[in-house]
Amino acid sequence: MCCERCPGATQAGTDHIAKRRLLKAAVFQPAVQQAAGNTPPADTMPAGTTSASAAPAAAPPANASRADLTPASLYRPVTGQIIDAGPQVIVIGQERGERRFVLTARASAWRGSPLDPASLRIGDKAVIRVLPSRSDVADRIWANIGRVTGTIMVRDQDRLVVAEGSTKKLQTVVIPPRARVRIQVRFPTLQPGYLVDIIGIRRRDHLEGLHPATPQPHYRSDLVPKDLRRRLPETINGSATWHDSADEPYGVLGVSYPAIDPSAGCLEDSEAGYGHGEAPAYRDLPYLAVGTALNVRNECTGISWTLPVTGCAPIARLFNDRCVACQNSDRGRVADLTLSSFVALGGELDAGCFNATLTIGR
Amino acid sequence: MLTTLRDIQIPLLAAMLLGGSLAKLARAIGRRSVSAGLGPTALFPLRLRPWAGAMLFAVEFGMGFGLIATAGAFGSGAPATLVRVGTCVLFVVATCALIELRSIRPDIGCGCFGEFSASPITGRILARSILLAIAALATVTLPRIVLPRTAVAATPFLIMLLAELVLFGFLSPEVREVLVRVGYSAPCERRVMSTEQSIAALHRSAQWRKHSALLADRRPHDIWRELCWRYIAYPSRYDGRAAELVFAVYLQHRRPAVLSVLVDAATGAVIPWPVGRPADWWLRLSHLGLPAASQPEHDPWPGDQGADPARDQPGTRLTASSLV
Repeated sequence: MCCERCPGATQAGTDHIAKRRLLKAAVFQPAVQQAAGNTPPADTMPAGTTSASAAPAAAPPANASRADLTPASLYRPVTGQIIDAGPQVIVIGQERGERRFVLTARASAWRGSPLDPASLRIGDKAVIRVLPSRSDVADRIWANIGRVTGTIMVRDQDRLVVAEGSTKKLQTVVIPPRARVRIQVRFPTLQPGYLVDIIGIRRRDHLEGLHPATPQPHYRSDLVPKDLRRRLPETINGSATWHDSADEPYGVLGVSYPAIDPSAGCLEDSEAGYGHGEAPAYRDLPYLAVGTALNVRNECTGISWTLPVTGCAPIARLFNDRCVACQNSDRGRVADLTLSSFVALGGELDAGCFNATLTIGR
Repeated sequence: MLTTLRDIQIPLLAAMLLGGSLAKLARAIGRRSVSAGLGPTALFPLRLRPWAGAMLFAVEFGMGFGLIATAGAFGSGAPATLVRVGTCVLFVVATCALIELRSIRPDIGCGCFGEFSASPITGRILARSILLAIAALATVTLPRIVLPRTAVAATPFLIMLLAELVLFGFLSPEVREVLVRVGYSAPCERRVMSTEQSIAALHRSAQWRKHSALLADRRPHDIWRELCWRYIAYPSRYDGRAAELVFAVYLQHRRPAVLSVLVDAATGAVIPWPVGRPADWWLRLSHLGLPAASQPEHDPWPGDQGADPARDQPGTRLTASSLV
């Protein structure tokens, strides 16, 4: 059986995960209907699945483009290298060629700090937020944005070496003098063993740390306190963040969830030597598996989206911070979204989080 | 002795009815919705659920109060008989409703005691409901109750009451939920149970004995967990085609509920259990109930026709590249 975090996963190896939702629905169908042998009506089965279909039920068509899959109510993230940037138009280069976007009158850009879109440089790697209703109109651009979230392993002057998980490469963060005070206001203890979460400019071999994404928890990452709430509500409120993962392909739509079933074996936990249910976490969330559908609602924009759980969030679960993007969220991070999912839900990458409500299919 | 046994049914039934109605009321207040009830109200269409929930509360509370009010001299005779017959009918109807509910929504609880009754309906809950109906029947011709005036006279009364409470406690999954609430036990969503424990529980279950002959391979090809259930999928064959036999095991240590289904491996369509098998009569018995009137509500799935696009957006299905 595959571990619950599968770098280099193949379609053949993950078909069974994609089918889980269908099989679960079949188990809870009326028993008498099963006995009668009725097939479920089409509206209870995933799109593209018919009883006569020979293809695996939940497997999407291999050539489905991202545009086909994006509904009208969501923002669409597009990434590429800037070829030209002006006050009204931005042009980026992708593998498939050039793409041109018209900018709205209120369009803004970010490269370490807010700036005019015309000030973006050619060659910058940009994440462009395209309006839900118009596939060629953008209102937000982030250039060279990066994020490092994890435990400080080494500090050498203004250079931090940060562990983002036991299966990921160590990240280097360099804090320039102009950002030092701003970061140390919210991260007073830049010492090994403490958590950091910094947003900045992605350089070739390091992150130039410019903004603290959150206040620093007051505890070491190996001494995480516990949330004392015993009851598990049906909807979960907390902070939703995004992660910047080099080993994650662009356009992945999903969420890393902090409470993957211990028996399934989150690779991060086994690598770190934690036994079943022993991995530290601030909040006790219901256990789920990879493939579970999770409805994530951005309380700041009102946009919600049903996302599949695609991995565990070994670092996000250590934080007990609140997101203050709009209202105060409950303490603790409940979802660590991929960059594309975060932007699609209306999240601001430079803010780092939004107040989220999760609903699990019960 | 027999009279004492019949006497204690009145306070016991009243306590069950009042406790159940107040627990339902607490749940409705907590959620600010009358339709938030569990259990048999799920049998009603959505627009009727608030009325069904309110009616259930009113009937239970009325019967519980009526049983106490008519137990003594006040209201003895016809009013007492009416209330007791009504209570008996209520439990008979409740038993039938639970059987029906178990057949069409095997994943939800009976809702008998509001939020405390969230675990799936099992044979023990049905047995409790039947016993309560019998207890109510035993009180129909009971004369007015005279409370014992001495400790000696009260002793058999208390012993029998205690014994019956223990019996109902054994039949009530709500006790486990109370232990969760007081912090003695973990909620099922957070219960740490190994895959081996779930498979061992599955192998002890009646569902396994009934269907294991259909397995093409005794090694499961997928195991996963969501909330309170662990799903175990085995390869199977049906009519020359590849199929999957899926078991869902509730995550509790003792006597977990187990559900099963046979699906077509290619299409995901539910396949009827093979007919003519010797165990078929037992299969039908285990799923007592009439044909379902409607489908259970499924979670929204990307691309569902008629789905609210703001809540249910396509583009979320898993691809191999998304599993990183």
